[in-house]
Amino acid sequence: MAADRPLRIALADDAVLLREALAGSLTAAGFEVVGQAGDVAELTALLQRGEPDVLILDVRMPPTHTTEGLEASHAIRRDHPRIGILLLSQYIETRYALELLRDDPVGVGYLLKERVTRIEQLADAVRRVADGGSVIDPEVVSRLLGRPRAHSPLDELTPREREILGLMAEGRSNAGIAEQLVVDGKTVEGHVTRIFSKLGLEPAGGDHRRVLAVLTYLRGE
Amino acid sequence: VRSDRRLGDVALLGTLGVLLAAVAQFGPFLYTSPLRTPLNPVFATTAFVGELLWVAAALAAYWRDPTGRMWKLLLASRVVAALGAIWVVNTSLTWTVWEATVGLGTVVFAHLVLAFPTGRLVSRYDRWLVIGSYAALAVARLLFVLVWDPRTGACFPRCPVNPFLIWPNADLAWLFGPGLSLAIPVLAVLVSVSLLRRWLAASPALRRMLLPVALVAPVELGVTAARYLVAMDQDAWESVGITLSTSPLAFIHAAIPAGFLLGMIAARLARAGIADLAVELGRGVPLGGLRDTLARALRDPTLALAFPAPDGGGWVDPHGQPIEMPPPTSARSVARLERDGETLASLVYDPAIEAEDPGRIDAVASVARMALENERLAAQVRAQLGEVRASRTRIVEAADAERRRIERDLHDGAQQRLVALAMRLDQARGRTADASTIIDTATAELLQAIREVRDLAHGLHPPILTERGVAAAVEALAERAAVPVRVSIPPGRLTPDIEAAAYFVAAEALTNAAKHAAASEVTVEGRIEAGAFRMTVRDDGRGGADASAGSGLLGLEDRLAAVGGTLTINSPPGGGTLVLALIPLSEAAG
Repeated sequence: MAADRPLRIALADDAVLLREALAGSLTAAGFEVVGQAGDVAELTALLQRGEPDVLILDVRMPPTHTTEGLEASHAIRRDHPRIGILLLSQYIETRYALELLRDDPVGVGYLLKERVTRIEQLADAVRRVADGGSVIDPEVVSRLLGRPRAHSPLDELTPREREILGLMAEGRSNAGIAEQLVVDGKTVEGHVTRIFSKLGLEPAGGDHRRVLAVLTYLRGE
Repeated sequence: VRSDRRLGDVALLGTLGVLLAAVAQFGPFLYTSPLRTPLNPVFATTAFVGELLWVAAALAAYWRDPTGRMWKLLLASRVVAALGAIWVVNTSLTWTVWEATVGLGTVVFAHLVLAFPTGRLVSRYDRWLVIGSYAALAVARLLFVLVWDPRTGACFPRCPVNPFLIWPNADLAWLFGPGLSLAIPVLAVLVSVSLLRRWLAASPALRRMLLPVALVAPVELGVTAARYLVAMDQDAWESVGITLSTSPLAFIHAAIPAGFLLGMIAARLARAGIADLAVELGRGVPLGGLRDTLARALRDPTLALAFPAPDGGGWVDPHGQPIEMPPPTSARSVARLERDGETLASLVYDPAIEAEDPGRIDAVASVARMALENERLAAQVRAQLGEVRASRTRIVEAADAERRRIERDLHDGAQQRLVALAMRLDQARGRTADASTIIDTATAELLQAIREVRDLAHGLHPPILTERGVAAAVEALAERAAVPVRVSIPPGRLTPDIEAAAYFVAAEALTNAAKHAAASEVTVEGRIEAGAFRMTVRDDGRGGADASAGSGLLGLEDRLAAVGGTLTINSPPGGGTLVLALIPLSEAAG
């Protein structure tokens, strides 16, 4: 992906006001908003005309206002595998995050809608999705990590290891984690290995697969 | 066969009774004695008729209830009356025996009056009065014959000797003899008071039966007391006592058996009313009017009808209102009507009815069976309707309460934050130095407001319930619960109302488990079994949950009732709580 070319974004949300505001913020942050859709039909037509790098879409859209966006994302990833997809939702359901990752954990994200108010967070998520990474809302992770448990291998983790597990669950790469925690990459790798052995997990192949493994572990245990 | 034998017994008893009556009235005249007054044919015949009334009453009492005590008591009173005739036999032994039994007739009469109409003494006061009277009389008369010397006092010609005399003492003889007459007015008053108390407390049916004794007994006891008092003085006896003993007042006691017999005849005639009842029921009784009709036929205005409540526990009246059945120890009798082991109705009635006319209840109940069946169905429908109304009211109230809660949450939360936010943004106007601090604060408050509105909206109806069904929604609920929750529900979809009912049961039970029960683990299990969705929420908390105490659980009952389901809560103190919701899949809610 050429670094000099701005990322091309398409938006799908039936709330026009929010869509316009989002377009404004993204443009101001240096992205190029190439199209907007108010429902799945418009979105399909939009994608026929040309593929954006990243599609940001709302989970809930007309006509039933339930999970049209989520259903559409499955179809789009099948038909347009090169498009990164970032789903926004008013409510967070861990089940939906897993459904999304289970398809193919490459280039997807699931965020609480209110994250759009912090444009730097949103921009970071868009870039990671465009890079083929996965982005899971911290709310999903904190809910899974914070869930009361009777006895769990999670109790054996040190606070730092717990923090790193959380960041892995959000879809961060080792480099991303190292940057966030201001430590070097080797240290992070050591932590990750210990976490996996404490939880009895198979070392996952690559950062992308790792998110699904960690979330599945946290949810099902 | 039984009736034939009873007829034989009655004939035997009747012969004995007539003999006793004859001995009592005409016995003295078979024996030539200087002591008796000449035969007054009119007086003796009238007295004999009075005696025959008593005998007839004894026979009637025997016919009605051969195992009862009434006929025995009536017969005993006649034996004592006949015994009174032996005074005229002028031997020492008969004379002394007669002296020893003076006053016994009065005490037996008091006993009879108090035990009317069943032969049983009802109150403890009555029992002590009767036992005390018998005991006092026996002791006094026994002592009397030991100290009484007939030759010392004023005596009829040819005084007999007392064969039991061991220690002549004129003072003691007076005390245990004529002096005892002073106790008779006391007995008369005590018995009359007891009778008055019974009358005041009596049910209409019992008053019907008590009427002859209530009217006659005080008069008879008064006359008797006067005769005893007068007899203490020879002159007074000759001027007043003789008149008293031969006046029409002397026969008033016979009004008691006469009233007794009339009451029985009236009760028998009332059976004819059962035929009228059949006709009346045949014409049709308006729903709810059956009780009055039956009360008339039974002659029991206190009659109450009770039907099994539609939900199987407890009883309802004809209007469908829940009622309590009288405990077995109470002064009410209960007749239960059954068909094929199923209870149709219960009649709560005055036990006096049974004494007045045994079998009338059965007769009325069998005639009214069909009408009672209709009335039962109507009462049960009314009871269900009442429950539905109550439930509807609670649902409306719950909805109102929920609206108030939402309004309060919005008002206290998001609205306040948005106002504060507007003020902060206004502060930022025109400033450059600290504008970014103000905007940071404003954004943080705005995010908090967004979060609150989100939680509020989610609490109203979780979208995942509509989107993915009850299993997914309960699992999401478990993720947010404050205690570890194990969920095992198959992923299939049910109808929206069943899913919502099951979801809110789980939500409420989980909240209670965390908040009130201090549980350390909760298990939610759901499965489809025998055409119903069966969900259990089991915790290991402190138990003691009560559906009637918490409006939350009551609201769940209503919600389940609306889809034809039931909620069962088993929560022994200290033994955890098990909430079981059972919802039929073929929704057939009424």
